[in-house]
Amino acid sequence: MLRKSRNTEMNSDNSASREPFSFGKILMYIILFIGALVMIFPFYWMITGAFKSKLEVNLIPPTLFPENPFNLENFIYAFKTAPFAIYFRNSLIALLGCIVTCSFTTILAAYAFSRLRFPGREVIFSLLLSLMMVPYEMIIITNYRTIVNWKLHNTLWALILPFMSSIFYTYILKGFFDSVPESLYQAAKVDGCSDWKYLWRVMVPMAKSSLATIILLNAIATWNSFLWPMIATNSKEVRTLPFGLYAFMTEGGQRNERMMAASTIVVIPMIIVFLFARKYIISGMSRGGIKG
Amino acid sequence: MKIRLENIVKRFDDNTAVNDFSAEIESGELVTLLGPSGCGKSTMLNMLSGILYPTEGKIYFDDDDVTYMSSEKRGIGLVFQNYALYPHMTVLENICFPLEIKRVPKKERIERAKKMAELVHVEGMLNRKPGQLSGGQQQRVAIARALVKEPRLLLLDEPLSNLDARLRIEMREEIRRIQLETGVTTIFVTHDQEEAMSISDHIILMKLGVLQQYDKPQYLYDQPANCFVADFLGNPPINKVEGVVEGGKVILNTGEDSLVRVENVPDGTKVYLSFRAESVILDNKSPLKAKVVMTSVMGKEVITSFVLGGKEVRGYMNSDAELERDQEIGISFKKTGVFVFDYESGERYL
Repeated sequence: MLRKSRNTEMNSDNSASREPFSFGKILMYIILFIGALVMIFPFYWMITGAFKSKLEVNLIPPTLFPENPFNLENFIYAFKTAPFAIYFRNSLIALLGCIVTCSFTTILAAYAFSRLRFPGREVIFSLLLSLMMVPYEMIIITNYRTIVNWKLHNTLWALILPFMSSIFYTYILKGFFDSVPESLYQAAKVDGCSDWKYLWRVMVPMAKSSLATIILLNAIATWNSFLWPMIATNSKEVRTLPFGLYAFMTEGGQRNERMMAASTIVVIPMIIVFLFARKYIISGMSRGGIKG
Repeated sequence: MKIRLENIVKRFDDNTAVNDFSAEIESGELVTLLGPSGCGKSTMLNMLSGILYPTEGKIYFDDDDVTYMSSEKRGIGLVFQNYALYPHMTVLENICFPLEIKRVPKKERIERAKKMAELVHVEGMLNRKPGQLSGGQQQRVAIARALVKEPRLLLLDEPLSNLDARLRIEMREEIRRIQLETGVTTIFVTHDQEEAMSISDHIILMKLGVLQQYDKPQYLYDQPANCFVADFLGNPPINKVEGVVEGGKVILNTGEDSLVRVENVPDGTKVYLSFRAESVILDNKSPLKAKVVMTSVMGKEVITSFVLGGKEVRGYMNSDAELERDQEIGISFKKTGVFVFDYESGERYL
């Protein structure tokens, strides 16, 4: 997949170099270059800053490249003061828990709404869809009460339970399931295939790219979620990375280079995921955009 | 396997899709359900496959009453217009799939699938995905998948409609060959009369949910039961001229005697005189006159359009005659391919 996208980039480079350079084109590239620089610079600044010493980070004029690029002091400090390893583990558990349960319920719900005939199907689905209009911050209050009543407050369950299903992802997947011709279902039925087997053997493998999109969107959302973990947890043992980072900011004092080291730790896993899966993310976003 | 359909009725709300349909299909035959769209032929097929159940009536496979039996117990193979292959599976996996559901051991599954692939001539592309095949090849795979579990009945729902003209002819011959080689009782649904004529043992012609005629293709053409059957079959379409019966003669609306005679039809009955293009004879001694509109040469034959009884009609003429526009010619009819139908009911008098 990566190789493929690289090829297309190379091709476009070739065709560009064959055409004569016009003024407009040069201007366009300059603007795009500046745009890219603006986007990348904060990341660059964060990562290089993480390797700088206290003195260097406050230096005026600032250094563009750290004096000692192998200075891991800040990372060591971050790991020592805040238990980032635990935060990381918690984030990972929440991530996997959400993805596995949410994908499972999404597949079942999307199949039911797309293929099974039952009374009130359309009404129920539109009711669920209308819930998408309720802002997330409003649901937090009821979710919090539920979690507290169930005595799950300040546990890892609290991070997973509210996100075990998603109307939005169900909607995306139902859109794909709807596009599968009915005759495939009939062909399987005539051969004696059960709905359950048809779903897992035919529908799900066909929906691979839609599912990948859903899983990725879900992963990003879970990994970055801040508000809910902040409300639902209050001890170090169950904190996730973003909230851990926030706590580090207040607990660790105003030391920019340490902050940057901590931020780098939080961001890097998602950057790696993005690099490997950007094709799915982009297509998923645009597809969701057309349908939503 | 012999199929018996007894007084099948299918209603959707207050719309009757199939009405009082009875027919028997002999074992090992290829029978076509033919008719224009909306005639109920697909509904009929869906009832045979168990996707739909009839409102009234009975369906028998041999002596088993299968009217309300679910699809998977009927032992049928189904082929769809859009092939309905599983796009993520290879050709081999597709053909194996019905056996996989039946829990046939893997080794036997592959063996049987390969044999089937040979029968339909796709043995060289077993590891390809359906997306890498042409339409005709995909349809071959679909047929193999339908046949691999050795069904008692093969149902084909407009299997050639998505193919281009040349492939369509090739594939219909292939379907016939496969059907003859396996000897499976086959029901083929189409709206294309030429397709139906070329491959069927028998044709069931339907209109608005009612069986019009069930016969061998040639009989359907030579001896249509009513005006609809005559209109539906044949290319070019049958010529129709309006007239009225007077003393056993069919008099055209323009007052000429058509020279066609009918018996036991009361005077004053409004009728259609229908005749096939090949049943027209150029006969300048005939008292029935017509005016030439145009001629077009179609290889060895010349098709001539002329005005008869106020209507433009067509007939095959001798190419030596060299007819010109507006020329007056004499016309008579052969004994075959000439019919008289009631103007209102379409009932056949001759």
